[in-house]
Amino acid sequence: MTTAALLPTRTPASTKPFYFNTSAHLLRITRHKATSLAEFLEGLRHCEEASIFQHTFRTLQEHHFIREGFSNDFAQWALSACNEPSLAENLTSVDVREFTSVADLRNRCVQIVEEFLTHTPLAADRTVRETFYFCAADIVVIPTNYVARTLREFAEGLRGVSVHSIQHHFIEARLRLKLMSNDFSQWLHEDLGLTEAARQLNRIDIYTITLEDVKKQIIRIVERALV
Amino acid sequence: MEPVESQTRSETASGSLPSDSAPVAAPAEPARVERRRKPRTWETPPAPVPPPHLDDYKKIVGAAEIDELRFLARDLKGKSLQMINSTAVGGGVAEMLNQMVPLLNEVEVNTRWAVITGGNDFFEVTKAFHNALQGGEYKLTQHARDIFLMNNEQNRQRIQFEEEFIVIHDPQPAPLVPARKESRQQWIWRCHIDLSNPNPEVWGFLRPFVEKYDAAIFSSQSFARQLPISQYLFYPCIDPLSEKNKEIDESFVAQTCEEFGIDRSRPIVTQVSRFDRAKDPVGVIQAFKQARKYVDCQLVMAGGGATDDPEGAAVLREVREVAGADRDIIVLDLPPWCALEINALQRASTVIVQKSVKEGFGLTVTEALWKGKPTIAGAVGGIPNQIVHKLTGMLVHSVDGCAYQIRYLLTHPEFARQLGQNGREHVKENFLMTTNVRRWLLLLRILLTRASHPPTV
Repeated sequence: MTTAALLPTRTPASTKPFYFNTSAHLLRITRHKATSLAEFLEGLRHCEEASIFQHTFRTLQEHHFIREGFSNDFAQWALSACNEPSLAENLTSVDVREFTSVADLRNRCVQIVEEFLTHTPLAADRTVRETFYFCAADIVVIPTNYVARTLREFAEGLRGVSVHSIQHHFIEARLRLKLMSNDFSQWLHEDLGLTEAARQLNRIDIYTITLEDVKKQIIRIVERALV
Repeated sequence: MEPVESQTRSETASGSLPSDSAPVAAPAEPARVERRRKPRTWETPPAPVPPPHLDDYKKIVGAAEIDELRFLARDLKGKSLQMINSTAVGGGVAEMLNQMVPLLNEVEVNTRWAVITGGNDFFEVTKAFHNALQGGEYKLTQHARDIFLMNNEQNRQRIQFEEEFIVIHDPQPAPLVPARKESRQQWIWRCHIDLSNPNPEVWGFLRPFVEKYDAAIFSSQSFARQLPISQYLFYPCIDPLSEKNKEIDESFVAQTCEEFGIDRSRPIVTQVSRFDRAKDPVGVIQAFKQARKYVDCQLVMAGGGATDDPEGAAVLREVREVAGADRDIIVLDLPPWCALEINALQRASTVIVQKSVKEGFGLTVTEALWKGKPTIAGAVGGIPNQIVHKLTGMLVHSVDGCAYQIRYLLTHPEFARQLGQNGREHVKENFLMTTNVRRWLLLLRILLTRASHPPTV
């Protein structure tokens, strides 16, 4: 890659290569749906974890180009179909980066809706404008052709992969790692000893910029570490 | 379908169009074109273009996306798939298969396409079933059942079912499923129609066949039924390389507007759709008239379906009546092969409206979003999947709501521009041909995995 060839010579190397994977998901329609907030709460409690994952983590990727504050499907539905801005605001504030398990994420969403309905019981059975359909994500993880043993190869891999791969390694990784981190930061920190670059990556705000911009910021941080 | 004489202005809308196509005298206002010329392809449809290759999409979705499709297909190399539907030409399913089959073959999933045959009586029954499954009134007779099953049995004996995956499109060939081999062959039912409120008798008759499949696919969550098999969501898609959606020269856009008498110096609000009450064309005109009290604009109502459909002709008459002598309402009844002209009209528009009151998926919304246009659409059918309110477009529920959003978008161009940009990205991520190639490859991989690791009971 020509840009890589122009970069300075510092290229930290690791004995453990970084394999760039990507993931693709297919939407499965489940039996849960909600035509009121009471039904929505039941759905949240009983839907499969793949549904919680779809409507929070995965929907971020489906709407990755939106800068104006798209957070998750639950919040969007609370606002546009239920016309409940305070509930929507609380659901919007759920940050997937604070969760390393889908079960905890579900509990947080359930808690928010329960608290809202405790304070606003009349809203529970009010018919909403649009039905909420709980879908689930069936995921297939796919290896790409990119493997990095050095920081320079890592930068090349980052440039070559799609935003789906960024989503897989940077956002969804915490569910696999069970850590408040991501695959990129883990490799930079543990295998290359680049703790500061790892920390900087972990501070990128995925909610206020597009996934393409996230990718560019990651590349910039890695290129700076090369200098 | 016969091409329809042109009408661009109020006098044609009120029915005073001459029956021949002779040139008309120059307009009273020289700046406005009084009559459009004949459409570019007047007598016959243009020759079909050869199907594209995956690499042709790289310039649109990026090389990384296309690479991913190839990575995804690696484990499917050499697998075989047969698509079966009821028509080789005409209609969205045939159009989609014409594009999809070569693309799947290109990634070495050996795909072939077969079409069922039948007499007129069979297709009369299937048309009635089609309408009944979408909520129409119908009395299912034993005779209709017999015709339906007998024709399917004949097709079962005629068609070879040797592939590892068999995909049956829509209800017409659904009863072919008993042809399943005892091996690990997987059968998938792809339902393109809205089953949210089916005629219970017809659905009750078809349901036992559907339950024999390994998986079903629907175009919207709301179209699905409760079934004991896995149900997947495949959104319909558009081809960004087609005549309707490809990039076109600005000069062609300008020429098209000139021919149709559209003033590009003023805002243009457009609805493109068949003249059908489900698209509420009269409501669009009412909304436009309300909006125009506060903001200068023109309305283009471009559609077809009025020549081969008596109801379409009646709706077109109503539209012309409501438009009356308004010089800013331009009603165009176009033949179905005017895809390039539709493309140009959409690109010339300031705002695009699709104020449907009943809708399937609403591919005209997808087309509008793909062209980066701020779009206002009825919150029905598959439209909310495409329009995230205030983020990728505006959802409306009434004429008044539509009028307000027209005014708002025309007076807030920066917000409108951002909506259009988000809408285009939404289509790029979720509703393009390449996304559906990815969905098919994913489904095959998921079914293969499931077959090799069946769930334990």
